[in-house]
Amino acid sequence: MTILRTFRTLFAAGLILFVAGVAMAQDRPRVVAVNYPLQYFAERLLGDAAEVVFPVPADVDPSFWRPSISDVSMIQSADLILLNGAGFAAWVDRVSLPRSKLVNTSDAIEEQFIVTESMTHSHGDGGEHSHEALASYTWLDPTLATSQADAIAAAIVSRGLASQDQVDARLEILREDFQALDTQAATALGALEGTDIIATHPRYQYLARRYDLTIASLEWEAGAMPTDAEIADLQALVDETGARILLWEADPPDAAFEITAALGLKNVVFAPLAHGVEGHSYFESFTDALSEMAEAGVP
Amino acid sequence: MIRKIALAGLIAVAPIGASAHQLIVFASVDCEAVTVEAKFSNGNAVQQADVRVLDGQNNVLTTLPINTDGTVTVPLDSVDHSEGLVIEVDTGSHDNYWIVTPDDITRSCQS
Repeated sequence: MTILRTFRTLFAAGLILFVAGVAMAQDRPRVVAVNYPLQYFAERLLGDAAEVVFPVPADVDPSFWRPSISDVSMIQSADLILLNGAGFAAWVDRVSLPRSKLVNTSDAIEEQFIVTESMTHSHGDGGEHSHEALASYTWLDPTLATSQADAIAAAIVSRGLASQDQVDARLEILREDFQALDTQAATALGALEGTDIIATHPRYQYLARRYDLTIASLEWEAGAMPTDAEIADLQALVDETGARILLWEADPPDAAFEITAALGLKNVVFAPLAHGVEGHSYFESFTDALSEMAEAGVP
Repeated sequence: MIRKIALAGLIAVAPIGASAHQLIVFASVDCEAVTVEAKFSNGNAVQQADVRVLDGQNNVLTTLPINTDGTVTVPLDSVDHSEGLVIEVDTGSHDNYWIVTPDDITRSCQS
């Protein structure tokens, strides 16, 4: 009898805690981020004060994600919407989002954007032309990422999502982490001076500029087996540049590594982090990639 | 510590005057209709395009030709808009979209 009573008491207490937890989760403000780095920075700055949502499925490139109507409804109802700017996440220009909740985290660094030239094609009577674009992976330069984190911190405080003191304290630690990452990157990548690098996709412009790297780019699909034509393009680029390192966004099939290694290239997987890497934070993923690049630079 | 900035060969600054245009689609709701506007980023109105109206399940509800001024009006009572609408504009060489949520429609009727 006593055991039964104890069990009931424990069950009731557990139920109350569960319901309270669910209610708290539902009551928390919601912040939406358009990529993983912004989600991570916001989580570091908010602690448990808000739920931070990055709504893009893991198998979809966040730059080109097309949200569903229900996704947009969820985003419209968020308390804060964190944009990357620099042309990242084209969908944000194809929906109505409440201006009072929008924060463009790269407003302060617009003058540092890198202009690129994207696809060239022709149609109608317009002749051949190119669509101008911006390199958008700003967070691969830790100094630009710092500025984006500053913008997130200011938005959190101005909207009352967390106290100024708490956010200031967390931002100070986050800025120290960025500083350490920048120092580590400068050291690790310094050894690659004069080393030509090829990337399987043009993602690393800001990294290249910050650390004086020479990176030529292909347009390969992340994680896919390259075609014979793509391998031929790579061979031509290796002949032209003398590149010794090949950067991949994600692990391709093992056979791809074997083919590119046979061309004299050292393979390095450097996740560009628009999506997070399972089980690794922004800083952990970044430092892992730096170590791999430094190692690949050793003759 | 950081060495002087030197851009890699992959970064090409777009030449000034390059013919650059992309399709821009915008849709507004006024409680009775969705007004779709489509133009190229160089300011020219789209003169020929199909405008597809889809529901929340991506079913095509109707397809309309765009007017020569780059606009088309979709009366709300002509489509089931309970789950919102996706407006796709396709010129044959460029395409883009705009998403109208149920809240967008509700708000337009309150203002």
